[in-house]
Amino acid sequence: MSRMDAQFEGWGRLLARRTGRRSFLARVGALLAGSAALPLLPVARASADSSRVPAPSESIPGPEGDPTRCEYWRHCAIDGFLCACCGGSATTCPPGTEMAPVTWIGTCRNPADGRDYIISYNDCCGKGFCGRCGCNRNEGDRPEYHWVRSNDINWCAGAKSQAYHCSVAIVVGQATEAQPER
Amino acid sequence: MRRLVLGTMLLSSLAAATASGLEAEKIGNVAILPPIGDHWVWVPDRLLEHSLLYDGDSGEVLAAVDSNASITPKVPLVARGRGEIYSVDIDYARGRRGARTDFVTIYDATTLAVVGEVPLSHPTSESNSSVAHIALLDGERFLVVFSQFPVTLASVVDLEERRVVEEVPIAGCAGLYAVARLRFATLCGDGTLLVAELDDRGALLRTARSERFFDVVEDPVSMVGARIGSRWLFVSFAGYVHELDFSGESPRAEPPWSLVDDGERRDEWRPGGLQQLALHRARQRLYVVMHQGGAGSHKDPGPEIWEFDLARRTRVARLQVPNLAADFVGPLLGLESGGLGHRLLRWITPNPGAHTIAVTQDDRPLLFVRNAELGVVAVLDPRTGEHLRNLEEAGVTGPTLGVP
Repeated sequence: MSRMDAQFEGWGRLLARRTGRRSFLARVGALLAGSAALPLLPVARASADSSRVPAPSESIPGPEGDPTRCEYWRHCAIDGFLCACCGGSATTCPPGTEMAPVTWIGTCRNPADGRDYIISYNDCCGKGFCGRCGCNRNEGDRPEYHWVRSNDINWCAGAKSQAYHCSVAIVVGQATEAQPER
Repeated sequence: MRRLVLGTMLLSSLAAATASGLEAEKIGNVAILPPIGDHWVWVPDRLLEHSLLYDGDSGEVLAAVDSNASITPKVPLVARGRGEIYSVDIDYARGRRGARTDFVTIYDATTLAVVGEVPLSHPTSESNSSVAHIALLDGERFLVVFSQFPVTLASVVDLEERRVVEEVPIAGCAGLYAVARLRFATLCGDGTLLVAELDDRGALLRTARSERFFDVVEDPVSMVGARIGSRWLFVSFAGYVHELDFSGESPRAEPPWSLVDDGERRDEWRPGGLQQLALHRARQRLYVVMHQGGAGSHKDPGPEIWEFDLARRTRVARLQVPNLAADFVGPLLGLESGGLGHRLLRWITPNPGAHTIAVTQDDRPLLFVRNAELGVVAVLDPRTGEHLRNLEEAGVTGPTLGVP
């Protein structure tokens, strides 16, 4: 009996390790590409005004306030590795990478103030996959033909190297309406 | 003298080995591929940056084709008539930095030797799955390659001359779908579909656009399509099938039909995954990965694969996705497939479902089933739902499959 217990325990440990590793290895957030048309993008315009955006409250207990968790409120449309787990933060790329200037956007509700914010998911580029904290949430995500809202595209297309490392989630403005969804 | 003695001793020992029953073997053998089989399947891998080619009957690996990519290797395309395999690749001068080059690598389909290369002038597009980013047109003369940024276009590669002969602008559109020998289509951000027609040398003759047939915000169609003759089928997030007929000069959309009835819709059954459609042309059967979920769940894996009769537009079967997590872990633990330990593991391990399917086109078809995060592919008999076998050690991670 004790041997069987030990075997089950071993399986459990192995399964947990494998599942965790697979998750981060596999959910290789997608994203690629983009570039020359940047100045025309709504995200680029929003970024230009970002200094006038009121900072959202971040004093949220639990996973919705933890930028290393997929459940973090800003991550409602993220697809990739979280830079907060890779040497950066929710708004900063890790050392030695380059933040791609063009990106896809999502609209996420901040549970601290109940407001909806437009989130710019910029990719950090120039290194291979970070491989940690892989997340794939697709609220408001649309296919590649509606590219400004597509998290599948490799948005490193706008960077010097299109090698994808991780993604940040930057508040660029308050939304006037919630994410349309079906 | 000493060398002679050593040589004599070596020969003596070789002779002894032969006398004991083992023949000396030739050093330097390299295998070649047999003729392309009906049950072969490509299994691309993001981390290993290659596509393994499996025989779905034996479960054995036949070969691999390398493909550098920033996200996901594109599934190699096979031209049976030309006896060639094409891989659309990206490379940097210094690993992940330096000058970037994009090119089509041409392999001999028997030896897998590189027999040619076509440089591309624009960065090729990449996405999570890169589904529909390349297409081989009927007749195998032209290959089209999608570039999205900084300019959105389709490069037309003449496989006979091995060079790019045209760049078709498709601004605002994405994905490439072969329609005929000299025609291909692309999905557009205004809810229409654009078809481009080429002349015999690959130059653009004209384009034509369909009516608007879907809403890109309210209920968009996924990038994964399924072709049957001159028709393409696309399925929306909410589970409506849009059929496009390309037999006329302009593409024509049929009225959409639903994969789910009212009760199933209330129960939130909907399609999902990363390559969630497969179609058997001769049997007119459409297979769709299905799950229960709300808005934003369109890439979630599903526990079931629903089979539809296209002629009657009705569901004919609900196939169960095997527990791929248990089937992946089992061999790592040394558990015998189907043995008590393996059955226990299947019982205690939550079934993660499938993201991806592909079906062979012969009269005894195989249905391949993959979860993007597990290194195993299940092989099902789509006529019965029976789980026949697994393709094991199928890499680390990848969202696609491809039947040559």
